[in-house]
Amino acid sequence: MTLVSLTINRRRTPLRNATLVFVVIALVAAVFADFELIALKPWGELAKIFAGALTPKFLDAERLIEAAVTTLALALLGVMAAAMIGFALTFIYRHRAVRSVCAFLRNIHELFWALMLMQVFGLTAATGLLALVIPYSCIFAKIYSELLGETDPQPAAAIPGPVGGFTRFLFARLPDTMTQLGTYTAYRLECGIRSSTIMGFVGLPTLGFHLETAFSQGDYGGAWAILYLTYAVIATLRWWFRPRLLPIYIIAAMFILPLNSGIEMSHFIRFFTSDIVPAPLARGDGLEGFLPWITMMATEQIGPGLASTLILTQIALVLSGLVALIAVPLVSRQFGGPVSRIAGHLALVVTRSTPEYIIAFVLLLVWGPSMLPAVVALAIHNGAIVGHLTGRLADDLTLRPDAIGGFNRYTWEVLPRVYGQFLAFLFYRWEIIFRETAILGILGIHTLGFYADSAIAEFRLDRATLIIVVTGVCGMGIEAMSRRIRTRLKLTTSVEEAKES
Amino acid sequence: MAYFSLDDAQARYGGKTILRNLNLTIERGERVAILGRSGVGKTSLLNLLYRQHAEEIALVPQDFGLVRSLTVFHNIYMGQLSRHRLPYNFLNLIHPVAREVALAKRVTDRLGLTEKLFDRVGELSGGQRQRVAIGRAFYFNGPTIIADEPVSALDGARSREILKLITDQHKTVILAMHDIPLALDQVDRVVGIADGQIVLDAKTTGLNRSSLYDLGLVDD
Amino acid sequence: MRRLPIALLLCVIFWFPKTTLSQTLTFSAIPDQDESRLIERFTLVELYLEEKLGIDVSYVPVKSYAAAITAFRNDQVQLAWFGGLSGVQARLAVPDSEVLAQGIEDQAFKTYILANTETEVEPGPELDPRILGSTFTFGSKGSTSGRLMPEFFLRELFRHAPDELFDRVGFSGDHSRTIDLVEAGAFEFGAVNYEVWESELARGQIDTSKVQVIWETPAYPDYQWTARGDLRAQFGPDILNRLRQAFLELDDPKVLAAFPRSGFVPAHNDDYLPVLDIARSIGLIDPARESSRP
Repeated sequence: MTLVSLTINRRRTPLRNATLVFVVIALVAAVFADFELIALKPWGELAKIFAGALTPKFLDAERLIEAAVTTLALALLGVMAAAMIGFALTFIYRHRAVRSVCAFLRNIHELFWALMLMQVFGLTAATGLLALVIPYSCIFAKIYSELLGETDPQPAAAIPGPVGGFTRFLFARLPDTMTQLGTYTAYRLECGIRSSTIMGFVGLPTLGFHLETAFSQGDYGGAWAILYLTYAVIATLRWWFRPRLLPIYIIAAMFILPLNSGIEMSHFIRFFTSDIVPAPLARGDGLEGFLPWITMMATEQIGPGLASTLILTQIALVLSGLVALIAVPLVSRQFGGPVSRIAGHLALVVTRSTPEYIIAFVLLLVWGPSMLPAVVALAIHNGAIVGHLTGRLADDLTLRPDAIGGFNRYTWEVLPRVYGQFLAFLFYRWEIIFRETAILGILGIHTLGFYADSAIAEFRLDRATLIIVVTGVCGMGIEAMSRRIRTRLKLTTSVEEAKES
Repeated sequence: MAYFSLDDAQARYGGKTILRNLNLTIERGERVAILGRSGVGKTSLLNLLYRQHAEEIALVPQDFGLVRSLTVFHNIYMGQLSRHRLPYNFLNLIHPVAREVALAKRVTDRLGLTEKLFDRVGELSGGQRQRVAIGRAFYFNGPTIIADEPVSALDGARSREILKLITDQHKTVILAMHDIPLALDQVDRVVGIADGQIVLDAKTTGLNRSSLYDLGLVDD
Repeated sequence: MRRLPIALLLCVIFWFPKTTLSQTLTFSAIPDQDESRLIERFTLVELYLEEKLGIDVSYVPVKSYAAAITAFRNDQVQLAWFGGLSGVQARLAVPDSEVLAQGIEDQAFKTYILANTETEVEPGPELDPRILGSTFTFGSKGSTSGRLMPEFFLRELFRHAPDELFDRVGFSGDHSRTIDLVEAGAFEFGAVNYEVWESELARGQIDTSKVQVIWETPAYPDYQWTARGDLRAQFGPDILNRLRQAFLELDDPKVLAAFPRSGFVPAHNDDYLPVLDIARSIGLIDPARESSRP
């Protein structure tokens, strides 16, 4: 009897097995990773950065406000346009082709879009807008479709008489989903503000432009002033972002961003017919020239780039999980006192709302361009998000009054109940971590982004395009794998969780 | 040819056959109650019948099929969606037209819902929601109604009154009921289901009520 | 609440380059140094050119060498202060563009190889082979003095690509950062634009007990002003000559010190052919692209 139950128990530990597999992969990856600290006094510089947090300098207020307004205008227009396009796409989203194209487009990071679009539109509003609109539309199409798909089918079935599909949708499906669509859109606007900030790092005149300057020049007080401004804009979103005021905002944003500047058809045509055509083909060398070219790209750039991107992704994924597991007891009502909880929340809010790109940028400045700063940046940002979500779940648990306390409470009462959900959250971050890892290459770590950035610096857009396309396809692969693992582990995948992505 | 006719039909639910050997005809103008214990397959039988003339039947499903975030007016107006063009429907969704409001009010007056006309359905009680579902059927104003336990959430006096409204408003009436005395007052034919089959099909006049218990049509 | 949108409207200022409206000459420069220094310098140039030519001139800062070239290529800037390599790339992208002038120092520019003093590698007429196997940082990937030329001379001296010569190769982004990184010891060695080194040294920004110059490269042509040929359509057929003349006559010590250059001399596209050859020889420019646009 005992024997039987033991064997049964051993068989049924898919969550533990999955965890083990990923930890082992990360450990193997760590063997190949490069974690050197390339600075003699990295901690002194880091201390200066933290000191800057306490003494922010709002010196050039006028320029900051200009940049903040541009950041907001870009985010607002981009996200709203993307929401409309994404909504329209839901009507054809059931087609496999549409789903695949969307999956591909949204797996290319907005910074990659910005870098490529800059070749066509230059440093204009159009570059920033399209870089937001393209991936965001595809994200909206996916999430909106899922939200609409989750509505109760009964009301639509209960409409008497022959009623057209669109009317049915308008009356029976849309109203009950409106609130959720609105909440998700507002959440995306928050992401949009972060994305549009980041675009300053490649030269658009948003807050990131000045943030990059300030950090690069060691003006940490000035840099923190900009970060605080970003936090303030995002934190006050719920007070000023009202659907009623939206039309006014959009009109204002259109005035602020001159949409007609610098868009020329000839640049567009040149981009597609000449810039991104592989050099040997453009030269007319045909297959004979193309084969060595593609072999060179595969072995010298894509191969090594992809390898280090994957190594970094797997390590960062597991470390994110670790950070999250440490964070949960710090923020959950089930543990600790109010002081530790407030401190925990504060730490998570800051790391959660600072894009990993900025965290990595700062850590790279002080620790040098090895994988270490990248892994740390990815782990604390994503760990904070997963920890926050899991902590909320833990808060919702009702434990027996006689439940044990302390560490045992965490490992015996709380963790077993939330672990599946925790893994689901983490697997949702997987493809995002991959995308971010690729993009961090722009900062000098030798992931795919490094080779894409180098190709752009050398004006070889054909190479850059190829690398970016490979990145998108691999992102799709990881997304599919993550979905398959979640299904196999029977982890619920409701849309709510996708929100933080 | 009969209005509704099932010829050795079967009904499946969740991959299992729950009703078989169904032979049933219903003529226009008949008022029929389907009786049986809960879970026996009354709803499945109603669905089979509904599909035969879906375009002209006002349906009151057991779970009402209402849109919770729309108002009582909107949910009632949805009974008329098939009679209007998309722009007019859209206009009513955004800004209810006075004429439609007046018409809807006539329905809510009879159902005692007028003061709730612009409340969201999600904020109403179960009984009120049930009346909204019936209101939509009235607004549809078709010749036939199929109603699944249409008064289950209402109290005695009111349920009798509303059931009478339902039968008065429609030429052909098919009800799934489990309050047998209430049903028998309003219909002229009963069909009983037990053990996956039709076990009774009779006029109400001269029906021996105790036989309903013997046939296992009543919840214990 | 209601007043906010109005405030937003009032904030309407056009920050993006106003190419379509303009009788404005917009120019940019490769971001090879701290941005505040660049803004300081090019604001002076902006004022000087406006006064000299009597047209609106505006400077647009960019974040990368590639962005400067792209802006030039897409006609969002019509004039630019490029390095040797970025200038060659820009002129390949815009075939009728012309070199106007270069600094006196740019005729024979140099790169300094820096060493952190803890490496104990001393200055000498030859580059000490002890730097091999160490950590080494270039400047920007697209820089002439910070990347192209030092890479070329390293390959000449040691017959291998930098990746194979050093334990780790970095790209700091700009010259100021290269100095900082080597001074901090983040990299043991680095390659830096000699003018940036000299001017930061003069401003007392460098701790010479931590970082020193151990070698200088042979001379090569570097920075230059390049303008788009189609400027003529907008500002008249003699605009390129007027611009060239303006640079040659630039003698305001304040403006010159900001570069820092002692003056400007005429220069021509052909002066930079050696740079093009070098870029091609180390594979930074595809022969195909080049031959397709002579």
